[in-house]
Amino acid sequence: MSSRRSRSRQSSGASRISDDQIADLVSRLQQLIPEIRNRRSDKVSASKVLQETCNYIRSLHREVDDLSDRLSELLESTDSDSAQAAIIRSLLM
Amino acid sequence: MKARMQNSSSSALLKQEFLKKWINGLQTYTNTKKEMTILDRKNAIKLSADIAIASTRNFSTNWSRAVMADVSKNVDGSSKIVTEKILGRKETCIIKCSKNIMRKSRLLAHRKRAIRRTIGRTSVKAASAIAKELVKKRTRVLKRLVPGGKQMNEICLIKETLDYIASLQVQVDVMRNIANAADQCLDSTERSLL
Repeated sequence: MSSRRSRSRQSSGASRISDDQIADLVSRLQQLIPEIRNRRSDKVSASKVLQETCNYIRSLHREVDDLSDRLSELLESTDSDSAQAAIIRSLLM
Repeated sequence: MKARMQNSSSSALLKQEFLKKWINGLQTYTNTKKEMTILDRKNAIKLSADIAIASTRNFSTNWSRAVMADVSKNVDGSSKIVTEKILGRKETCIIKCSKNIMRKSRLLAHRKRAIRRTIGRTSVKAASAIAKELVKKRTRVLKRLVPGGKQMNEICLIKETLDYIASLQVQVDVMRNIANAADQCLDSTERSLL
């Protein structure tokens, strides 16, 4: 009986250290994600932060993809020799 | 206030570095492939952007190494040239070494997981168990989203996520500014031609 109690105290001690670390990192994540940062409440659960993090990363990926589409279309339309083409090319080169 | 100012100047430097490397990569790509479809061009833009943002980290983070490992895996002739152009020969060797590093860390993670499984689990109350399950579930999703995430422990994963998100924000900001500027260019020249 006593051995079980001491074992649980040991493991909770070790997990307390990493819990603090994790809490610190999670709060830093909170600062980075606009969704949560603008909500102004200090108490956001870890799972909520993680969920918003995943959503945010996915939206950033999508934006990169959309911007690549947009830029490729812009470059395509300036293939012809024109003043526009020269301007765009000087922007990008 | 001071921290924010420092942050903005360091992020401005990051943006410049990313822009330079991205454009370098794009130029190399367009020089090697004369005939490109829109899809080719889009992939070139995206690939150069990803390589460029990963290289701003000097490959000190796991996610940037994972990005380069992925790139060199799916490499065809022209993207290899782009990679070398942006990074230089020295750093492309680093990529090859990083593949070994990733393989070793994968083995290590396997061994750690096996050890953890043999240690007995303590009993937890129902509510916190549900909370932990939820956190575990979301962590699994996050692991899939961050490059190289599958081989990291929780703490490493969150640290990498912080850096990865900051870099993605730089990438998106620069790309958006260029796209908007190019749009404005087109608009104004069209108007002047009328």
